[in-house]
Amino acid sequence: MLSQWILVAAFVFVGFYLLKARRGSNQQAIRRIFIVIALIAGLLAVLFPDYTNVLAGLVGVGRGADLLLYAFVVFGLFYAVYQYRRQLWQEKVNTDLARALTLTQAQLDKVVEERESS
Amino acid sequence: MTPDVSSDRARRAELNSVCVVIPLFNEAEVIAAVVEDLRGSFGNIVCVDDGSSDGSAAIARSAGATVLQHPMNLGQGAALQTGFDYVVSQTDATHVVTFDADGQHRVNDASEMAELALRKRISVIYGSRFLDKRTKPGLKKRVVLQVAALMTRAFTGLRLTDAHNGLRVLSREALRKIRLEQNGMSHASEIVHQLAKSRLSWKEYPVEVLYTDYSKKKGQSLLNSINILIDLIVK
Repeated sequence: MLSQWILVAAFVFVGFYLLKARRGSNQQAIRRIFIVIALIAGLLAVLFPDYTNVLAGLVGVGRGADLLLYAFVVFGLFYAVYQYRRQLWQEKVNTDLARALTLTQAQLDKVVEERESS
Repeated sequence: MTPDVSSDRARRAELNSVCVVIPLFNEAEVIAAVVEDLRGSFGNIVCVDDGSSDGSAAIARSAGATVLQHPMNLGQGAALQTGFDYVVSQTDATHVVTFDADGQHRVNDASEMAELALRKRISVIYGSRFLDKRTKPGLKKRVVLQVAALMTRAFTGLRLTDAHNGLRVLSREALRKIRLEQNGMSHASEIVHQLAKSRLSWKEYPVEVLYTDYSKKKGQSLLNSINILIDLIVK
């Protein structure tokens, strides 16, 4: 069934994103394209609910509602993974900042100590 | 015969080029004794205080250690990396000894390892509690650590018997090859991975881990080894 291929590909993509994604403008562009597509698809699904049934038939899913559920699950998972990666990156930035502060403080302490002893 | 004071002094002078780095987080009860013990053998003790809330930093400082303070708690791996950065950028130490703050390592083991590294020019010496019978880790801990060692062996090809021992000697050259990104407890595996890639000379040295009631409270659980595995795959 076509839908199975699409879903398997989507999950593989999310898994790949979890392991390999690096921050960069290409990544950001891909994410933005996804968001725009999701917005337009959502709008169309609201305006023309019958067509979700047609699309579902084309890819081999029973009803339009099922198709929406699948799309929701894939996007939800992708979002969770994306936020997880963002958090990792944020932690790294925090660590670098804290470390820089710590090392600067150590240098200052040394200068103060030398001045006091001289 | 009286103890040979002059050779003790020579040994001390030799170890002056070695800097001990101790990640420190809420160990007020024991840190003073640990620092004082180390000062008997090593000239330079650096404690990286990882946001302790129990006054550990001040205690370590008055015991004679240089104390670096993280503004907040980041994790043991982050503290070690800060210590390494400090040693490379602000001292001219040739070697670093990593040492746990909870008093589970023996200073004698540390100084023997450091002397060996200096004398034989070995870049990396890992302490191992499984090379002799001194350490009695208990069954659960033994299983956790053996699994970790097997995992490390599978990933890196290094035939280590104890991949998660906090006592190590690292040369300045080795420090330059290490960039710890795992802030939590996965840094031990991370150090081994990064050094395995560097192909620097290494050795394991038998050490005793003292399981006091105090240090037992802070051991790692079996489930945490799952975290460590995931940390190493998802970076």
